[in-house]
Amino acid sequence: MRAQYQQAIEQHRQRVYSFAHYSLRAKEDAEDVTQEVFIKLWQHWQKIDHSKLGGWLMRVAHNAVIDHVRRQRSGEANLDHYVDVDDQAGSGNQEAKFDQEIFKQQLQLAIKTLDDPFRSIIIMRDVQGLSYAEIQASLEMSESQVKVYLHRGRRKLRDNTNLRQLFESQFNGGSQTVKLVEPAARQAANDKGNSHAK
Amino acid sequence: MTKVTVMPSNSESQCYFVQLQIDGYIDGDLNETQREVFTSHVHSCEACAQEFHYAQVVQDTFLELPQIDCDELVLEPIHRLSKGDGSGYGAEQVISRQSLLSQIRDLFISAPAFMRYGFPVVLTAVLAVLISTSVLNQDEVAPFNNQQLALESVEIYSPEEVFQALQDLNLAIDYLNQMGKRTEAMIGGRFLLTPLQDSINASFEKARIRNDEPLQNDPI
Repeated sequence: MRAQYQQAIEQHRQRVYSFAHYSLRAKEDAEDVTQEVFIKLWQHWQKIDHSKLGGWLMRVAHNAVIDHVRRQRSGEANLDHYVDVDDQAGSGNQEAKFDQEIFKQQLQLAIKTLDDPFRSIIIMRDVQGLSYAEIQASLEMSESQVKVYLHRGRRKLRDNTNLRQLFESQFNGGSQTVKLVEPAARQAANDKGNSHAK
Repeated sequence: MTKVTVMPSNSESQCYFVQLQIDGYIDGDLNETQREVFTSHVHSCEACAQEFHYAQVVQDTFLELPQIDCDELVLEPIHRLSKGDGSGYGAEQVISRQSLLSQIRDLFISAPAFMRYGFPVVLTAVLAVLISTSVLNQDEVAPFNNQQLALESVEIYSPEEVFQALQDLNLAIDYLNQMGKRTEAMIGGRFLLTPLQDSINASFEKARIRNDEPLQNDPI
């Protein structure tokens, strides 16, 4: 059992920690969530259906993240830590050249401001590249529900004022030529980019 | 910042529906016809093209977000937990307590109903029998203990002392018997028998004198 437990940790630690990292503001909170998840795995080892271990772990991580977000919102203890990042991202508005790193930081902040389940689904699907089946198993939703929440969550994300202003300032109000990428090619890129997370 | 306000007025509803389909297009969920309508509109509408470009940039940035792993230190308590190392880390102690409680709870929950309720009843009955037995044993043992104590206390006196005590006791009994005889004589002679005999004798004497004298003014 011990060896299997260690193996399970090694197999899923990155996925669990990444999910917590992109969901929560503080690194310490993400670490706490990761510990909570694997402690619960140890406690419930005998009762878990090990063929669905990945989904079970993500569901536990999702619940732990929700608890942390609630505590975070009631305390708002860690906001100061992110003021510098916000300012840094805001200062990018003055630059003409698109700064991918700043946009990436602002996108991460925008994700953290989303409510659940939009946040969790976007992280699982778009950041971690989980399949719809895995997300269904993790959040106990139907596939259609997951898709609806995903699309609504993306629109909410794009409505983030800072993110949109940053994009518009970088691309001069959208005057650049838009190149349409075929969905199949994008899907392949998405799968390739997130293949390590699966 | 609404997307609809920047769109041309003549195609507002079309822009609205096309922008709703952006994520469907990105995910490859649109059919052939929908995709053709979508692409033709995006090529002709600057606002929708910008919105689509924005969505593409966001999705591309998602792909660049790295998968992050935690430090090994974060998982060190977890590894210790699984190895059963009791040193350090309060979290482990909490876990062990929780696991014990949860195991008891799970055991209780998983048991059939008759065991869940029958077991406490049987346990209570057994305890009651044990307690009552021990109390009764104490009651039976107590007299035995008293006798033993008495025997132990007798053994304190020597035979000479016992003989002396018996002599003293006999002397006391003789004295009490003598006192009893004196008391009986005194009561019988002075306070009970003599006054009663005297009063009876006096009555008989009066009656004799009365019979000896003749009656005067006898109506008969």
